[in-house]
Amino acid sequence: MKVTTNAGRLVRQMLAGEVWPALADRHAYRVGPDGQPFLLPGMGGVTLGVHCADPATGYASDHLEPGASVRHRDPGANMALQFLTCVGNPVWVTGGPAAGALGHVIGQHAYVLVDFPEPSAADLAPGDPVTVLATGQGLALPEHPAITVKNCDPDLLARMPGGTRPDGRLEVHVAARVPAEAIGAGAGMVSEYANTDLMGAYQGLGEDLSLGLEGLRIGDIVALADADHRYGRGYRPGYLTIGVISTGQCLLFGHGPGPSTLLSGPSESFWLVDDPDANLASWLHPQPEANPAVPAPREAW
Amino acid sequence: MTALRPVAVNLLGLVEHPALGDSPYRVDRDGRPYVPAGDGGIVLGLQLGDSVFGLAADHAAPGACLVHPDPASRHALASYACIGNQARVRTGQAAGARGVVVGQRGEQGRVVVGLAQADLARLRPGDEVAVGAYGQGLRPPGLPPDVTIMNLDPGVLDLLPVGLPSLPPPPGGGGAAVTVGVRITVPSRLAGNGIGRPAVGWCLDLQLPPPGPDGAGDLLLGDLVAVTDIDARYNMGYRRGWLTVGVVAHGASPLPGHGPGITPILTGPAGAVQARPDPAGHVGLTAAVLQLQ
Repeated sequence: MKVTTNAGRLVRQMLAGEVWPALADRHAYRVGPDGQPFLLPGMGGVTLGVHCADPATGYASDHLEPGASVRHRDPGANMALQFLTCVGNPVWVTGGPAAGALGHVIGQHAYVLVDFPEPSAADLAPGDPVTVLATGQGLALPEHPAITVKNCDPDLLARMPGGTRPDGRLEVHVAARVPAEAIGAGAGMVSEYANTDLMGAYQGLGEDLSLGLEGLRIGDIVALADADHRYGRGYRPGYLTIGVISTGQCLLFGHGPGPSTLLSGPSESFWLVDDPDANLASWLHPQPEANPAVPAPREAW
Repeated sequence: MTALRPVAVNLLGLVEHPALGDSPYRVDRDGRPYVPAGDGGIVLGLQLGDSVFGLAADHAAPGACLVHPDPASRHALASYACIGNQARVRTGQAAGARGVVVGQRGEQGRVVVGLAQADLARLRPGDEVAVGAYGQGLRPPGLPPDVTIMNLDPGVLDLLPVGLPSLPPPPGGGGAAVTVGVRITVPSRLAGNGIGRPAVGWCLDLQLPPPGPDGAGDLLLGDLVAVTDIDARYNMGYRRGWLTVGVVAHGASPLPGHGPGITPILTGPAGAVQARPDPAGHVGLTAAVLQLQ
């Protein structure tokens, strides 16, 4: 049975942002797990060629952010954008050559991350304005009071398989299960901002670094063991957090593909079903349609 | 390879004033709002050897936190200052007072300086404190090649329960391990804030539960703690079969993902850095060791 929610009581807000440039400093290099210096793209700007259901790792990239990375210029407005935007929220490009293109939020990473169809993404550049229809914070599950919902568009939750089981647990389909040892940078931060980097997914590096997470895909729904994200991100035995992989490949040590938080509560409140199709691409992607009211985007370069 | 000698640099820190946002509240791991007292600045009545769980405080450190108004200078201060470095108050009513660096804290960077309580009581946020930063790059004779020491004044190494392999190395290279006395060894899954951050100028929070009614499981400021499967040579992160040892530099925190924090001092393969836990009798970095009393 689909889970009952308070979706009808949520507000919807139009928020503004812009595609944000990639940022670097003049010292250029960062340091990988074995002390290897590296300079690799991935954060900020518009990252092409990687979408939901594509592998999260295996790229010459660091902190790979699929699609467009979005912020607001005003610091206070930016925090509102980062906190209020939820996974699954629709985003329209409202200026520039890609105007009218429709994408969806796949997570937060100190940027709002928006996956667009590849032809639209190819026409996007830093500075292009976007509009977010933000809704989801405050979403609650009256039949599952122990479970806290975070950063989740009610429409996404309605499309996800699973729901309330006869035994009262919430059934959630997950593509991967993540051990507590994998939790990297992002621990201790609020769960409405950025995401939780997962270690143990350094494809091509040493076996002693691996936690078997090299097969994660962008958009995968994952279960984090012993993680309590109800009031921030912390370790708590017996709790479980459901997230969606919103960022990919990292070489920076202690970092890695990261889930944005969706659900968190006591483990016994959940019933997990291992399902390789538990990926945003199954419900929102791969190719969201353009808004028919505006001209179609140009051909990709 | 001949080890290069560390270089000493005099740095300037300013005694920090605690800072809060528009709301006085943070939210603890159980969802309760709280006011974060003791998170930075001058904390009185808390010393090395006190329990990390003893105060209703957030990240309280034993002494005064130093910062610098210029962000780059602040990062340099936090990165170069080492445990055991001498500090001297230059301005204000405590001018001339002597202190010792007891650890670092992360994010924008803070140096924790322990002082005698009478000197702390005369200190005021904004006072200038000079730090004789010395120790980064240290490689003492006998240190196994795959072990790294960091954040440690060369003069303090002998005062801590750290045993370096004897020289010359035993024939065949066997037994060449650093032994370290620690209060406890904890698994990497307890590592919270600080993972993925540099091991210099940052600390690693440990998500430890408070001690039981009989005091079992308590941890003291200045204790040495070992964390399994953490490699802290560069950024801190998971590597199976490694061990990192740090000095407890600040107290517990109600925040999820936070807790008492260690400033890393030793990291290497578990075979080359061996922790010797002693929950009851461990003596780590103390005010007596640093002659702070």
